[in-house]
Amino acid sequence: MAKVQVLNVAVLDNPSPFGNPFQFEVTFECMEDLPEDLEWKIIYVGSAESEEYDQTLDSVLVGPVPAGRHMFVFQADAPNTGLIPESDAVGVTVVLITCTYRGQEFIRIGYYVNNEYMDTELRENPPLKPDYGQLQRNILASNPRVTRFHINWEGCAEKMEDSENVDPAPNAMLPPSCTPGKAPPLGLVPDNSMDCL
Amino acid sequence: MKLLKPSWVNHNGKPIFSVDIHPDGTKFATGGQGEDSGKVVIWNMAPVLREEDEKNENIPKLLCQMDNHLACVNCVRWSNNGLYLASGGDDKLVMVWKRAAFIGPSTVFGSSSKLANVEQWRCVMILRNHTGDVMDVAWSPHDVWLASCSVDNTIVIWNARKFPEIVMTLKGHTGLVKGLTWDPVGKYIASQADDHSLKVWRTMDWQMETNITKPFSECGGTTHVLRLSWSPDGQYLVSAHAMNNSGPTAQIIERDGWKTNMDFVGHRKAVTVVKFNPKIFKKKQKNGSTPKPSCPYCCCAVGSKDRSLSVWLTSLKRPLVVIHDLFDKSIMDITWTLNGLGLLVCSMDGTVAFLDFSQDELGDPLNEEEKNAIHQNIYGKSLAITMESHLSSTIIENPEMLKYQQERQGNQNPNGAQGSGPENQTPKLTNVLNGESLEDIRKNLLKKQVETRTADGRRRITPLCIAQLDTGDFSPALFNSVPILPGSSASTQLTPQISSDSSTANSLVYMYVTSYFPALSQPMEPMKALDSRFTERSKATPGVTSVPLTIGITPLDRVKDSSSVKEPKVKDETSSDSEDKIMAKPLSMAKRKGEMEGAEVVEKRKKGRPRKDSFIRTHVMSVRIKDKTKEPSRLITPVAVLKLPTPSIQKSFSTQVSTDAIAYLEVENEVSVVSGARLSQLKWSRDGREWDTLLTSRITIATGSSDIVAVACEDRTLSVFTTCGRRLIPSIMLPAPLAALHCSGHFVMVLMASATLSVWDVQKQTALVKNESLNPILSGTDATVSQSFLTQQGVAVVSLSNGKTYCFNSSLETWNLIADKQDSLVQCADFRNCLTSQDALGSMGPLALTQGRNLSAGRLASRLSSTPHHLQQGMTLAFLENQLSSALMLLSASEYRHWLLIYARFLVNEGYEMRLRELCQDLLGPVHKSSSSSWEPTVLGLRKRDLLTEVLPVIGQNLRFQRLFTEYQDQLELLRLK
Repeated sequence: MAKVQVLNVAVLDNPSPFGNPFQFEVTFECMEDLPEDLEWKIIYVGSAESEEYDQTLDSVLVGPVPAGRHMFVFQADAPNTGLIPESDAVGVTVVLITCTYRGQEFIRIGYYVNNEYMDTELRENPPLKPDYGQLQRNILASNPRVTRFHINWEGCAEKMEDSENVDPAPNAMLPPSCTPGKAPPLGLVPDNSMDCL
Repeated sequence: MKLLKPSWVNHNGKPIFSVDIHPDGTKFATGGQGEDSGKVVIWNMAPVLREEDEKNENIPKLLCQMDNHLACVNCVRWSNNGLYLASGGDDKLVMVWKRAAFIGPSTVFGSSSKLANVEQWRCVMILRNHTGDVMDVAWSPHDVWLASCSVDNTIVIWNARKFPEIVMTLKGHTGLVKGLTWDPVGKYIASQADDHSLKVWRTMDWQMETNITKPFSECGGTTHVLRLSWSPDGQYLVSAHAMNNSGPTAQIIERDGWKTNMDFVGHRKAVTVVKFNPKIFKKKQKNGSTPKPSCPYCCCAVGSKDRSLSVWLTSLKRPLVVIHDLFDKSIMDITWTLNGLGLLVCSMDGTVAFLDFSQDELGDPLNEEEKNAIHQNIYGKSLAITMESHLSSTIIENPEMLKYQQERQGNQNPNGAQGSGPENQTPKLTNVLNGESLEDIRKNLLKKQVETRTADGRRRITPLCIAQLDTGDFSPALFNSVPILPGSSASTQLTPQISSDSSTANSLVYMYVTSYFPALSQPMEPMKALDSRFTERSKATPGVTSVPLTIGITPLDRVKDSSSVKEPKVKDETSSDSEDKIMAKPLSMAKRKGEMEGAEVVEKRKKGRPRKDSFIRTHVMSVRIKDKTKEPSRLITPVAVLKLPTPSIQKSFSTQVSTDAIAYLEVENEVSVVSGARLSQLKWSRDGREWDTLLTSRITIATGSSDIVAVACEDRTLSVFTTCGRRLIPSIMLPAPLAALHCSGHFVMVLMASATLSVWDVQKQTALVKNESLNPILSGTDATVSQSFLTQQGVAVVSLSNGKTYCFNSSLETWNLIADKQDSLVQCADFRNCLTSQDALGSMGPLALTQGRNLSAGRLASRLSSTPHHLQQGMTLAFLENQLSSALMLLSASEYRHWLLIYARFLVNEGYEMRLRELCQDLLGPVHKSSSSSWEPTVLGLRKRDLLTEVLPVIGQNLRFQRLFTEYQDQLELLRLK
């Protein structure tokens, strides 16, 4: 069993302008004192087409972690707009929060993110070059996609033989059925999702 | 027989490997495969049992699901007491789950199902030892051990009282061990494995008793599980998959000689699971027929890979019923309800089936007593000790009883603290943890959290610890996916609770469920014994009302606290140590001069020890009487030696008398000389009203109560005035100089230097105590009088420096020991589990005043717990009875009631039926009036039957006493109707 259980992630400052930093308040519980730090990452998926455009917004060590329940706020700067393909700036994408222990990822939390213009005029006639100043970022906080991986908590020397341990992302997440070719690789878009259709 | 397949019990189509009904019959657990993990689900039983509950959308079906197991869960088993659930799975782990007392639903973070968990079960223990998949787990009778078996060919016996301690690893199987069963008598455990053997192990030395191979030699290792079962009478062990003449069977193994002569035949494929009905049955008596003595028999359900289920009675040669094609795949597990009439079966196809039998079909189940009688007959030892754990199976016979049981459960669950105090305590406590609510903490978390840079320049956040592990219960539902928006009141979701763990109902330790939040700037504290710290903390926390006990405050300390006159000396003398030192010398001197007149002794001592006098003076001056708080008025007057010292005469002094408002008594001696006589003035003032009077002799002590003022003079006269200054009686001539004077209500108590005591009721103008000598309590000891006071009811109480406190009972005309600080009973009595938070606050009165610190001593001593349980039980009983009689003697009604309830609770918890009955009988009195009866309907002004009404719910909490409860409840009801 995993020594660390993520109990909740609250998305703060949401929705917000595109340029605002991401803020996630993470609550997790640890069964035993961890001798090493946890490493958390926020990854912004720039384009559904390719991992190439994935941006690690920030990574942070969290520790020391004694047994118990803990919380922290993970804040990371907004993605570098220069690295996002212009065609993918507006619309639905994904932000991932991952946590690794001793270099092994044991949880991956994915959120749908919808970037759209607040201005109806812009929404209907989007400029060719995206105007990031006018974009609003809306994270679908109510529907996180959590994938847990079996890792070896005791030591890193021994390699886990479990097939589950193979990093499943991003192919573990099925292509969405509703937005052909446009949306990021993530599970089914929930009913109450944004108007990505 | 009725058959039901509740389609809503499923793991989303994934196989269900195990099912087990909770001992209380209200829920059941399933274990199996989850989405990408193992899954344990707890379901509500009611919708299975009743159709209307199934249709009622307000009745939850799913109570809790746990996906903590990383791989398929092969077995789930409730402990016999129902407090724990053990699960074992392919992830090689055994997890032990416990219900977390918590209100409100929650979801597993990120789970696709939006179904809320109605109950919170959390993993309290992970047992790691197996190196392969855990196939079966089993709790021993009385939940002493937990056994688990695994494909690593071993069986591990865990100490269920001290997880994760391993008692023994049973090695001997040479194949995957796939089933376990305990002998109901607790002497053996049997295991069945793929190595074509069934082994029986002794629990005494954990050695193998027998190894049975013959019936299994033809078996192929093709079943997923081999769940064998032991009959409830202990006589038969029935195996899973065995072969006889190349046909699959369930082998019956007789306890007597481990003979294998019989088997259950008929299944077309291997038997995967056998489960005995927990009940022993006897033939249903038909109306009119003469009762023939028939042999009791057992009932057994057999499930197989051929997807069919058969139910057998050991009295019949053929199965009672066979159900074919119940499932699409192999049957994996079977569980009976405790009443023996219901049966749940689960299958690899991911469904469950419920069978409901009638008594006509199975027979009359024997009750626990009859079952124990059978055990006693066969094994010479009864399983009476199992009574406790099987109590939950007792049928509640009385609706009132049911109500109390339910209330009790209700109390345990939402409010946590058993018999918890006022409900409004919970919110009070929660939002002020360390003065900061979780909400506040969340708001400022980003700003306040500690962030540093590591040597390589990386960000490192120190997470804020919001709860430490093993504080009992915290729940993920405290945190919902709701970010705090300005002005949002998420407080309902963020409400931590206070709770006393339901399982630790026997050790009333107050814990914060949600733990506490260390101030953000403070470094994290390491894990500690939380209970003690939390109790400490709860005192300091503002707004906390449930301070477990106002302990550790001696009466003297309280006086010091409340005294407005803060002279440094007072503090010194409140310590009894220093008193003893001071008084040791005068004592020996007094003994030598034992025959001398009291006055003379006093006079001589005065010369030698001026220090002593000042000591007394300070005390007299710092006295304050509190009437408003219903505390008995008291004056603390340390006096010494058999011939007691008298206070010296001062020029002037003042005393504070707190009645409704604070009143002051001011004394000025020798204000003027009129015709050769020296006049002394007594002045009384309250709220601006005041009066004064003149006396012809110098005043030594002045004191007052809410009704009277008493003044003792140098010339051995005692004057008593009303609070308006009117003289009530002409001066009383005292036989000796006065050592101490107390007033309370209309009572006046005087302790004279000749060590005699008198108490008068000045309103009725009668003597309650007349020149009673203190010799009986002082002789033979070196002790001196350290304190004396008068209760509201006019009972004189005298404390000695040796820690003993006596009161004088005027009807018996005896001195009675009411408190003894050295009493070993007090040191060892442990009745904390009988205290409620209200009790803890409610113990105020003369008895509490005299005993003070003792109670804390008892609590501390109990922690040492070096005393054997039965001894401690006896000591506690004796102590509580002492308390009860002392409260009676002191005429302290509130304390009597307080201790009576604790006493009753103790009797109920420890199962003292005789005493409980006697207590109830005394409280109830004769139902029919008779002149010969000497029964008093009241005690200390409390109606005994009202007290009984209070005691009955306490009795109602223990099902074992339901007969007693019913008996007195009915009689009380009868009397009420009269």
